Order: sequence, then C-alpha cells, then structure tokens
Amino acid sequence: MSQSTSAPVPVPDIRAEMLKGAQALATPAPPSKERGITSDLSVDEALLLHAAGWEPLDLVVGVAVVSVPVGVWNWGRGSISLASDAHNAAVDQAARLLRGECTKVHGHGVVGVRVDVSVQTHHIDVELVGTAVRPMAGPGGGKDPRGTDAALAMPFVSDLSARDFTLLERAGWLPVGLAFGASFVYAPRRSAGTAMKQTRQNVELTNYTEAMYSARESAMEKMQHSALEAGGQGVVQVKITEGPMSFARHAIGFTAWGTAVKLVADAHQFVQPEVVLPLDDAVVTFDAQSLRSSNQGRGGRR
Amino acid sequence: MSDAAGSGPGSADPFDAPEIAPPGGPAGDLPEAALRRLESSSFSSGLSVPDFAACLDLGLQPVALVQGFCVMQWGWYGPGSSTMRGMSPYVGGQLAPGSYSETYRCPHGYVSAEHRAWGQNIEQSWVEEAWAQGYHTAYGRMLEEAGTMGAHGVIGVADLVSNVADTGTTEFHFLGTAVKVEGGPPPAGGVPWSTYLAGQRLTKSIEAGFMPVAVVAALASVRVWAYCMTEYYMDGAMGGWGTNMGPALVEQVSKAHMASRQLARKHVRQQLAGDELHGAMISIATRELSAGDEVIDCTLRGNRMRRFKDFDPVALPRPTVRLS
Repeated sequence: MSQSTSAPVPVPDIRAEMLKGAQALATPAPPSKERGITSDLSVDEALLLHAAGWEPLDLVVGVAVVSVPVGVWNWGRGSISLASDAHNAAVDQAARLLRGECTKVHGHGVVGVRVDVSVQTHHIDVELVGTAVRPMAGPGGGKDPRGTDAALAMPFVSDLSARDFTLLERAGWLPVGLAFGASFVYAPRRSAGTAMKQTRQNVELTNYTEAMYSARESAMEKMQHSALEAGGQGVVQVKITEGPMSFARHAIGFTAWGTAVKLVADAHQFVQPEVVLPLDDAVVTFDAQSLRSSNQGRGGRR
Repeated sequence: MSDAAGSGPGSADPFDAPEIAPPGGPAGDLPEAALRRLESSSFSSGLSVPDFAACLDLGLQPVALVQGFCVMQWGWYGPGSSTMRGMSPYVGGQLAPGSYSETYRCPHGYVSAEHRAWGQNIEQSWVEEAWAQGYHTAYGRMLEEAGTMGAHGVIGVADLVSNVADTGTTEFHFLGTAVKVEGGPPPAGGVPWSTYLAGQRLTKSIEAGFMPVAVVAALASVRVWAYCMTEYYMDGAMGGWGTNMGPALVEQVSKAHMASRQLARKHVRQQLAGDELHGAMISIATRELSAGDEVIDCTLRGNRMRRFKDFDPVALPRPTVRLS
C-alpha cells in the first residue's frame, strides 16, 4: 500500500495499553474481599452499556418447574387451559426468582435474558438467565428515570440485548418486564359424515381455521394482558412459537413473548440515525473463483 | 502425571486457588512429543488471519499452539457419595462442610414400605471436585507448555469437556495460542495469563481497561432424591396422596435447579478474588434417573478480567442506517 496523504488521525495507542495491562499482572494483586462482578454480556455489549453509563453487576437466574396434571393431554375438544395455566405459573415464578436475585445485588433490572421453555408431558420447565445492571455512580453515570427506590422495588426484566436496551433508553423508553402468553389447543376433528362429505370438495375446514386462529389470538392476547399488568404500554420484539407437542401430536402449543416497554420520557425521543453508505466490498475474503467467470466479476457473491 | 489442581499456596480448596498451576508447571509432566514439538523453530497458532493480525497490532508475538489434556474417571461409590451415605437422612452424611443440602419430608405419615417418606437435594461435592481436578490439571498442562516457551499469556483458549457416560470417564482438553508481550514484563510468578478471547474482542477489552487474568470454570452438581410429592408431580400421578388437580410448583426440583446455578456461580466467584467475570457461558445437563430422581449438572465458564486503569468508557456510538 502506498503512503497515506491525509492528516494523521489520532488512534488509541493500543500497544501502550497492552503493556499497561501486562504490567498490572507483573505484580501479584493484593488480596481482595470484593465481590467479583459476573456477567454474560459480550465484550461489545459491555462496552456499549458502559458508554451509556450503566454497569453489569451479576449473572442472575430464575428457574421454575411446574407440574401438569395427568390426563391433560388426553383427547378432547377446545383449548387445554390447565396446560396454559401451568405455563403461566412457571414463567411467573421464574421471573419472580430472577427479580429476587437482581434485587439482592441492588440491580435496577436484568438485560439480555435468555428464555428457555420446555414443555414435557408432566411438567413445564422455564429457565431465565440474564445480567443484572444498574446506572453507574459518579460522572458519566447513567440515570434511571424511575428513580432508584422505584427501580430497586421492581427491577425490570428484558430479553433485549444491551444494544437494544441502550437504544430504547435513548429513545425515552424503558423495559418493564417479560410479557408472556401461551395457549394449547386440541387439533379439532370432523365428524365421520362431514369428513366423508368433504372428501371430494376443495373447501376451507372451518373448524381447523377457527381452532388455530383463536388459539393464536388467545396466546397473543394473554401476552398483551401480561404487558399491561406489568405496567407496560406495549410489547417489542415479539417472538412466536407454535407446533405439536412431541409427546402428544394431537395437541398444538402456541406461545408469544417479548419485552413490555413503557415511555418514561415526556415524549418519544427521535434517535435520528445518520445515513451511511459503506464502501466495504461485499466479499469478505478473496475469492479466486470470481476471477474466472465474467458474470461474477464484480465480486458481489460470497 | 502429577496433580496440578488445588496446589495454590496454603490452600486446600481447589476453588480458592486462582493460580492453578505452580510456576512453570510440575517438571516432567509433559509428554516427550510435546517437548519435541515445542523445540521446533517455527511458531504455530490457532488464530484465524484477522485474529492473528489483531494480535500483532496489540504487540503480542505468537509463540506456539499449546494444549493440555487430562482424562478423569470418578466412581459413584466413594466416601461421601450418596451410596455410602445410605438411603436415610438420619444416618448423617459425609457431605463437605458448607455444601448445599435440603431435606423434604412426606406429609402423609406411614403409607407403605415403597412410599418415599423423605427426599433430599444434595450437592455432589465429590463430583465437583473431580471435575475441577480434571479441568485444572489439563489447564495447568497447557500453561506449562506455554511456560516452557517463555510465553506471557495464552489467547483464544478453547476447552472441550466431553463426558463419556458409558465408561464413566470425562476428557478435558485445552487448546490455545501462547503469546509474548513485546517489551512487556513476565506475569507474576511466571504463570501465564489466559483468555477465551482473541482478535478484535481482546483488543476492545484492553482498550476498555480490562486485562485477562485467566479462564475460569466450575461445575456444580446437584442430586435430587425425590420424596413422594415430587415423584407424584413429575410422574403425573394426579390425585395421589394430596396432590391437587391443578398445576403446582414442583418445589424440590425447582430449588435443585436454582441451587445448581447458584453453586456454579459461587464456585466461579471464589476463583475471581475480586476480579470480574466477563462473557459468562452457562450450560446445563440433566440426567433423569427415575420419576423425579435426577442429577443436575451446571457448568459456568468465562474470562476473569482485571481492571488496570480507571473507568474510561468509549463515547456513546452514533446510530447509523446503512444504504446498500
């Protein structure tokens, strides 16, 4: 490469920093009674959170196992309410334990919560793992618009990444909690007569449509209800799962969950992103094949 | 091969020793092939080309690809195991002091000889110790290889722990790239530092003022001996002896799950000595033995990092939208 003609841009002297780091390890650290911070944030997430004036405190967990009474999955009609009750109870209990762990370390909330739900024949297991965070003290520290007391009394729980959290905060919003909804339904059956009659018809199977439609709506409705209950105005990053139970193919489960959010600023703050035109080549590494074919000459493929 | 675990000065607890291997590792512990390889004049590294470039930018000179290996077996019938303890909470156990246990009692009174009148959650400290010994021995050997080369640290560490259930053995394998800090002092005690990070992620951590100290990991193992209620719930025996008709929290299993994660966190924290754990990875393995009876193993690992300069956050990045 030829020399650069532009003015030198000040870059952090990373080698000097590395030497400083090495020197810090050259002498044994004095014994410390301090409680070490634990976090499952990625390096980028931790840096971003620091830049926004927040700091990680502790890796926190909440796990609950709730029983599903026997016979619940047997053939029937309509929705399987005992299964959705068990699902809700497990999520609520896991979130309560997660909040409890967060409160113990004086966290204002939990970000990046990984949600793991497993529906078994006789029990539903819910595992929540995330990192408790709080605004940093001193200059450069962030601020919790709810105030410290309110935040400690009811820490938020969110499955948003640290990136999404800082973006949301900048726009004047704050997560309040996980919003969850689940509904389970029996795959409907037609009477023998109807099935016979419809064999040669191209028709909508209305009972199927209705059952699936209302089960999906019901899961989302429960989710929205739980968001309102938690004090949120709406739900972002909704995820939907659906499918038959592996142990009961005639039963279909629908779940919907996301992070309930509320506006804490006076009004929505416009983030006003800068529009950039990246000049990066789309090809990540040199692709010798691209030289051989004229239609790949622009190197647009990977 | 000698045992490198828990050999920190004045410490009997393997979780209490941040510097796992003694300086330079035990002499003669490495196989001859390793020494032959390390004597070669070429360097090797497991880094990708971008990671390699970032490593040179940091002033880190790759020295060699280093590894450590250890195969462990542990029996289920040793002193302190649940088998030796006997199937009764009254006999008293050989549980390690301070370890977790919780007893559950049947609310029904005498029902039958088969009725599970009591149940217990116990921390299987003998399993945890064996795991820690295997992990730290393999880790110590990797550091020994690095120390033989005069390296200051090991970056891009990858560890593989595979359970071979049928043979009752567990293999621990460490790989990493040993590096020297150009013009830098050797680490205290001559024990190289280590990290799972490499490339830009390591660069960003250093820039933010966090120096890697060591990779840390711990296993927590909790055994659930189900009592009658847990058995009914987990087996779906609705209506049996006091279970209600609706869904109910299975307290014993829920608590065992929580305990396994909290214990893993505690074990890891004991290795931090006030430093921070970054990029924690938590993984769970459960083995169901019979209705409600299970073993919950929780592994937690991450990078132990030390802050070496005052808090110096990057400027809050500007959000952008790409045109493509």
